[in-house]
Amino acid sequence: MNEAGLHAKLGAAGIDGIGELDTSAKDPFVVVEADALVAVMTFLRDDPDCAMEMLHLVTATEREACIELAYHLCSYQHHHSFVVKVICPRPEGGNHDTWHPEVPSVAGVFDAADWHEREQWDLLGVVFAGHPDPRRILLPEEWIGHPLRKDFVYPSFLGDVPLELDATPMYERGPDWTPPSSEPRPAGEPLIQPPSPPSDRPHAGGQAPAKDEAPADAADTGKEG
Amino acid sequence: MEALEMFTSDRNADVYTEELKLNLGPQHPSTHGVLRVELAMDGEIITDSWCDIGYLHRCAEKIGENVTYLQFTPYTDRMDYLASMNNNLAWSLTVEKLLDVEAPERAQWIRALVAELNRIASHLIAFGTYGIDLGANTPFFYAFRERESIMQLLEKISGARMLYNFIRPGGVANDIDDAWMDEVSAFCDDFEKRWVEYNTLLTDNFVFIQRTANIGILTKELALSNGCTGPVLRASGVKWDLRRDVPYLEPYDECEFDIPVGEGTHGTLGDCWDRYWVRMREMIESVRIIRQCIEKIPPGAHMEKSMVKMYKTPLKPPPGEAYVRCENPRGELGFYVVSEGGNSPIRCRTRAPSFCNLSVLDKLLPGTMLGDAVATIGSLDIVLGEVDR
Amino acid sequence: MGILNNTLPSNTVTDAVDGVIGWGRKSSIWPMTFGIACCAIEMMAVYAATFDLDRFGAGVPRATPRQSDLIIVPGTVNAKMAVRVKRLYDQMAEPRYVIAMGACVCGGGPYVKWGYNTVKGVHKIIPVDIFVPGCPPRPEALMDGILKLRDKIGMNDVFRRQKETAESMNRSYGHL
Repeated sequence: MNEAGLHAKLGAAGIDGIGELDTSAKDPFVVVEADALVAVMTFLRDDPDCAMEMLHLVTATEREACIELAYHLCSYQHHHSFVVKVICPRPEGGNHDTWHPEVPSVAGVFDAADWHEREQWDLLGVVFAGHPDPRRILLPEEWIGHPLRKDFVYPSFLGDVPLELDATPMYERGPDWTPPSSEPRPAGEPLIQPPSPPSDRPHAGGQAPAKDEAPADAADTGKEG
Repeated sequence: MEALEMFTSDRNADVYTEELKLNLGPQHPSTHGVLRVELAMDGEIITDSWCDIGYLHRCAEKIGENVTYLQFTPYTDRMDYLASMNNNLAWSLTVEKLLDVEAPERAQWIRALVAELNRIASHLIAFGTYGIDLGANTPFFYAFRERESIMQLLEKISGARMLYNFIRPGGVANDIDDAWMDEVSAFCDDFEKRWVEYNTLLTDNFVFIQRTANIGILTKELALSNGCTGPVLRASGVKWDLRRDVPYLEPYDECEFDIPVGEGTHGTLGDCWDRYWVRMREMIESVRIIRQCIEKIPPGAHMEKSMVKMYKTPLKPPPGEAYVRCENPRGELGFYVVSEGGNSPIRCRTRAPSFCNLSVLDKLLPGTMLGDAVATIGSLDIVLGEVDR
Repeated sequence: MGILNNTLPSNTVTDAVDGVIGWGRKSSIWPMTFGIACCAIEMMAVYAATFDLDRFGAGVPRATPRQSDLIIVPGTVNAKMAVRVKRLYDQMAEPRYVIAMGACVCGGGPYVKWGYNTVKGVHKIIPVDIFVPGCPPRPEALMDGILKLRDKIGMNDVFRRQKETAESMNRSYGHL
């Protein structure tokens, strides 16, 4: 079945909030409302004509006006694939510190979404409501900010690990060296990070990060590097 | 006598045991890099496990948003550094899809040829290090001997030993000549004999079968739901290979080759031995493809002419997005690139096969012994550079 | 041996003993099994049959830092890994040596500009004896690095009192 057929099938399923199929794109996609996402995914997985067994990829893309989530699905039985998108419009003045769009998690439909959604939260700060284990996955828990946002400020330290090219080596620091946690952030704005929603699984050892004591990423340069 | 009674009676009845948290990695010889797994142990049995990745996170996606399309090709080398050619191929196909160009016919055959050579090299590492994981050191030395031959062959055409940057958007960097192809066929003849040696060394080894059969059983449903691909999925009995089902290069359409799937020969379908054996047979199938490529490779240009002009200025694909999947040695590698018409994409997302294959580990480990955890991790054949990117 | 370090003045006897100890140390380097990224594969190739690092007495990788003298850092160290690398180094017994293998470890490499997470050179974390650049270095380059390290170890003074050079400061930073 091609994408038009899948879209027609989806439209006949009686789910609200399904948009038109964009056939001008190289991989035709359909935009759905965030509320309808779980129903759409469940339908695409369970319907015998669609039979999307596999969620390939969950991608968040930051654009000027929105953050857009793309879900790539494919079926091994019927050799077809499909793209579902959710668009989260950017609120007025929403930036990397203050704006964390929220979409429902599909980890209950596809197990594969678990790690993909954790990665998107980690790197782009998209909150997946109802995710069973919403921790960071690639970056350490004490990391502040979401680096794939366009306005992310590069940190110069993480804890006492230097991340700059011209930083003093750790073993050459004098005895009175202090971690740069007391330095103010350059923009002068406080960094607000929403607390992680409670996890169903306990933290695998270690302690939960102390957000207050984590060093502010007092970076000097931006993307110009 | 009392001691004997203590030993034979239900001696666990009043022994107090406590759950033990065990930390495996990131510096551990069997985690294939810097994977860290935290295990909750009840004696020797794993009761729960948590994967901790990110020790090799190298910001590839951020870099992709800052460099041009051509400049990103070397970074794809460094994701799955055991199969650089295949990564280059996937990236080049993505950029070509964005630009609506297609590589010339000869370039496609060269691509398939070098990609299959690299697949053999990659599976050889999987074979050699899997032996080390399970206590057999000899296969490692055999595997690296043949791998060196492949490295030297690929060095002759690309100039680099491991990270080639050879397949580029529009074609391949250099043409290949008949003398080189003769060397490749000589290697193929040699390799088929060596492959039989490997089987006598490891595949049919009694101890090896005991360590891997019926261990780490991955069912078809679990594999599909977790997005496992490649040999891991095929070992669970799903006959799916992009090279056959969605041929993304012309040679895969025209060459004859089989898709090895797991059969549960020594145990249950989808156990560690099946995953290992699927990889071993894939090497022989790759040799078949290479032979046919050498036979059928057409003359012509190795680089699209219109692309050569474009190389002088940064590529600027029209606004749009493309998602391309390729069959890598570890599974389906996908690149999802969003362009807004600039010099570099605004999003450069990688679907790394190892990332998805590894996510199943937490579900495989509980209930198995600690020694089997090493066997399971090794059989998934992850590359941490690709998991973390 | 650490207790005797830099305690005696230079004379014929200590020089001769220094020479013997240096020869012993340099001929039995035990590297640590430690792979991070791409360079680890080339490092494995050096251990394997074709290049055979065992010719120089350094072909027995040890799985634990407490048994090893040499840590080859083969691959990008990022913020999460840096803490572990430092801990591994701290666990090794003196004398200990570090080879930085690859461009990322020597100074950031391809990840120097946009790598928000990478440490720009492992010498920011632990003191390095030998830098082996390349992306990845060829096995011959790593072997050359190990030969250079052998020369360096052979010239090290064990008993003689050393000047407080920057290098000896680096060497003893673990005690600080």
